[in-house]
Amino acid sequence: MSDTYKKGLTRRQFLQFSGIAAAATLGGPRILHALVPSSGMAIQNQVVSLSSICDMCLNKCGLIARVEKGVVKKLDPHPKFLKSRGMLCAKGNAGIKQLYDPDRLKYPLLRKGGRGEGRWQRLSWPQALDLAAEKLKIIGEKYTRCGVLFMAGSDVQSSFVNRFASVFGSYNTVSHESNCLVSRNRAYLDTFGEMPIPDTLNSKYILIAGANVFEALITPDSIDMMTAKQKGCKLVVLDPRFTKTAALANEWQAIKPGTDMAFFLAVTNVLIEEKRYDEQFVQEKTYGLEQLREHVKKYTPEWAEKECEIPAQDIRRIARELSAAAPAAMIYPGRRTSDYEDSTQIRRSMAIVNALLGNWDRPGGLTAAREIKVKAKPFDPPFYEDNPEERVDAGRSLMMFEEEGSFKHARDAVIEGKPYPVKGFFTYKVNPMATGANRRKTIEMIQKLDFMITVDIAMSDTAWMADLVLPAPSYLERMDPVTALQGSSACGCIITRDPVVPALFESKPVFWIVSELAHRLKLGQFFNFTMEEYRQEQLKDWPEAKKDLKKDSFHFKHSRIYGVYEGKIYKTLSKKIELYNQRYAEKKADPLPVYRPPQNVPQGKFRLVVGRNAYITQGSSTNNALLSELVPENEVWVHPKPARSLGITSGELVEVSSPVGKGRLKARVTAEIRPDTVYMDSGFGMLSKGLSRVYQKGASIVEILEDHNDTISGNMAMHETFVMVRKVH
Amino acid sequence: MIDISRKQFVLVIDSQKCFDCKACMIACKVENNVPHGFWRNWVRPTEAKGRRVQFQPGQCMQCEAPACVAACPVRATFKRSDGMVVIDPKKCIGCGNCVTGCPYGARFRNPETKLAEKCNYCEHRLLRGEEPACVTTCPTKARVFGDLNDPESKISTLIKKGRLVQVANRKINTKPRIYYTTGTIQLDWPKEPTLPGNVRLPESFWKP
Repeated sequence: MSDTYKKGLTRRQFLQFSGIAAAATLGGPRILHALVPSSGMAIQNQVVSLSSICDMCLNKCGLIARVEKGVVKKLDPHPKFLKSRGMLCAKGNAGIKQLYDPDRLKYPLLRKGGRGEGRWQRLSWPQALDLAAEKLKIIGEKYTRCGVLFMAGSDVQSSFVNRFASVFGSYNTVSHESNCLVSRNRAYLDTFGEMPIPDTLNSKYILIAGANVFEALITPDSIDMMTAKQKGCKLVVLDPRFTKTAALANEWQAIKPGTDMAFFLAVTNVLIEEKRYDEQFVQEKTYGLEQLREHVKKYTPEWAEKECEIPAQDIRRIARELSAAAPAAMIYPGRRTSDYEDSTQIRRSMAIVNALLGNWDRPGGLTAAREIKVKAKPFDPPFYEDNPEERVDAGRSLMMFEEEGSFKHARDAVIEGKPYPVKGFFTYKVNPMATGANRRKTIEMIQKLDFMITVDIAMSDTAWMADLVLPAPSYLERMDPVTALQGSSACGCIITRDPVVPALFESKPVFWIVSELAHRLKLGQFFNFTMEEYRQEQLKDWPEAKKDLKKDSFHFKHSRIYGVYEGKIYKTLSKKIELYNQRYAEKKADPLPVYRPPQNVPQGKFRLVVGRNAYITQGSSTNNALLSELVPENEVWVHPKPARSLGITSGELVEVSSPVGKGRLKARVTAEIRPDTVYMDSGFGMLSKGLSRVYQKGASIVEILEDHNDTISGNMAMHETFVMVRKVH
Repeated sequence: MIDISRKQFVLVIDSQKCFDCKACMIACKVENNVPHGFWRNWVRPTEAKGRRVQFQPGQCMQCEAPACVAACPVRATFKRSDGMVVIDPKKCIGCGNCVTGCPYGARFRNPETKLAEKCNYCEHRLLRGEEPACVTTCPTKARVFGDLNDPESKISTLIKKGRLVQVANRKINTKPRIYYTTGTIQLDWPKEPTLPGNVRLPESFWKP
């Protein structure tokens, strides 16, 4: 340990220690031993406070780690980090147990038995890297370079995985986002030309459809929404489930699942018929009002009432209230929109209401991303002549994002071997075995592979299925590149990380892993830099940021928040906000959202909806020692009425089954859900015995969910499955 | 180290700001090495018609007339001049009377030390000039903590403004020193304390 410690102490860390006095003033005086050590060893006896950026979910909140004798004792919020409003949530506080977890991967492991059998052989790093490079080379030669699929999760080092994929020669990169929110991004890009950032703090009226901001926390939105509410902002929630967001809102409407578009088309109808939209704004900045006017004539509140099961008078009132509060009013864009086969069109209907409210680029509305440019080290990837023309998932949905692709479609393509074989799979900090609907198909896909490499912190279900598992350090042990962050009125800022403590065991960052692989594959010239050099290059245009980054791990760039678009054109075909989308018309998609009612729930079945609470980050945090104490397993929520006829009571074991799979978990009989719908948390029913606390606890959503997809973006559609619930005797 | 002996610590909680993220619970657990299965603080839901409508954070109420102090046979737990009810681990015999004697369920017996344990406002943090871990980490700052002896402090202003409520059982009043804002609804979680037959709470605790 002491040897590792000495080695782990970089110049950067050394500087950080000498900057302690400055950090200490933030939270009042701390017990500090003032002397800067002349050798690394002396630090072992010190108590120091070091800044970093949380990585327990996607938000990236500022933190201060209290380190005593080389051991992290406590993570506190960084009081000056505006994006997180000086807070650290339960997951952030539990980060210490991601670092110190006996379940962590400790050294490279090679599969010995069948896939998923859990028999492993320990390898040295040189052995593991030689093997990985050889396998990649063989697959590349046999099936072309595109025969390797790369999937990297939401992580600041994922860009290096994509860089590696690019120079290796595969354009088959899939992100986690196609299991999450690409349909929302698609819809807003195709309306406003970019993905807006909601200014919840200054809003007077926020309508939240399907999103759960007080449980699926987003900084600063979740906190700002509570602050806004305290200042008198009205929160209205449409959700088949009485979430904590619904509980704390001013109004909850238990909308029938899958009918949100009907609601928003009716709101549009009222805004237009009653001339309650922002006339000047719509006139000047939008395209297609006349087509929209014609289109929504039939979508009256009275019509929508029958679809959504929300009274027409409420729909009319909500539309009027939105209009009265505009432009400081919004339909909250939300995040995980992997729900229906028309997810993009549902979000288009919401985006259109936002446009009519004229809230774009204004306080309390939707704001544009601010300009924060962080350079990446440029590179010119080699051209491989034998590569196929297109991505393996190309053409399976109408308008997929090139860099995101679709996990669902890529998986199908691998299983079918069409249009060409993909036999290698490289994953980094992403867990499709726990997040991709229809787990059996993910297993089927993996069984088709020649070789699968997984880089992760713990033995996730995805790692469990891999051939070679490589241990990565946690965020508290890493040096990271500089990354730009956006967050409403709170920030534009840049962030970085330096190790708070040296990396434990034999864990190595993915940057190092892909660099080593590149060198072995004669692609070393694309990774001829250290992380420190890379960061220096990134910061060339940010001389003023270096001091802040050193002290706090972040630097804020204060810039204009509103009125950014004054005199500018929108990045759409019409150069305006597109109510009517011309590109959709060209692609034979509906240029205006057309409502198609969801399939009726068959007799004796329920629609399964999924989500998470504030103590879960999908498939990656449920095994945390502290968080698993809060949520040791998931439950299926069933309304008392159907529960009575099924003879189910709270706490009883039930089986939830669909045509593709089933799972057993406890029932939670509650009036907090509609009678035709059941709900489950993600992140449970794990297969990996390497996750000792959640192995086989509760049931897995992806075991039960069918794999439908949004026809435009290729986003997974996870609310299209009907399930049976029965008592287990 | 900061001298806290002349301070008067008070906590005000605004339940209406709480969205039950439980950051306070994990922060406390890490800061104080609270063993698995036990908590020094909590967030409890209030229900109406079978649905949760408010989330109420709580912890040791640092009562002015503490039942736990009355229940302790060896005077290991006592009220200190800074407003805190404290436990002297050297005196505590781990009998558990204070655990059942607390109407708030704020105490437990630590299975490792076998001694009584509860919230002490993270005294070690106060001595460093920091706030308790639960206060610092709270996203919406639903907890406001401070020194009542400092008239300029935020807590003094809040207390002066009044309009605060306290949590007490119908039958017993321990005069809690943690206050809640008036929007807090139906605080129904304090229990009637139970004690072994030979330990009795003085008459003055019981409401007429």
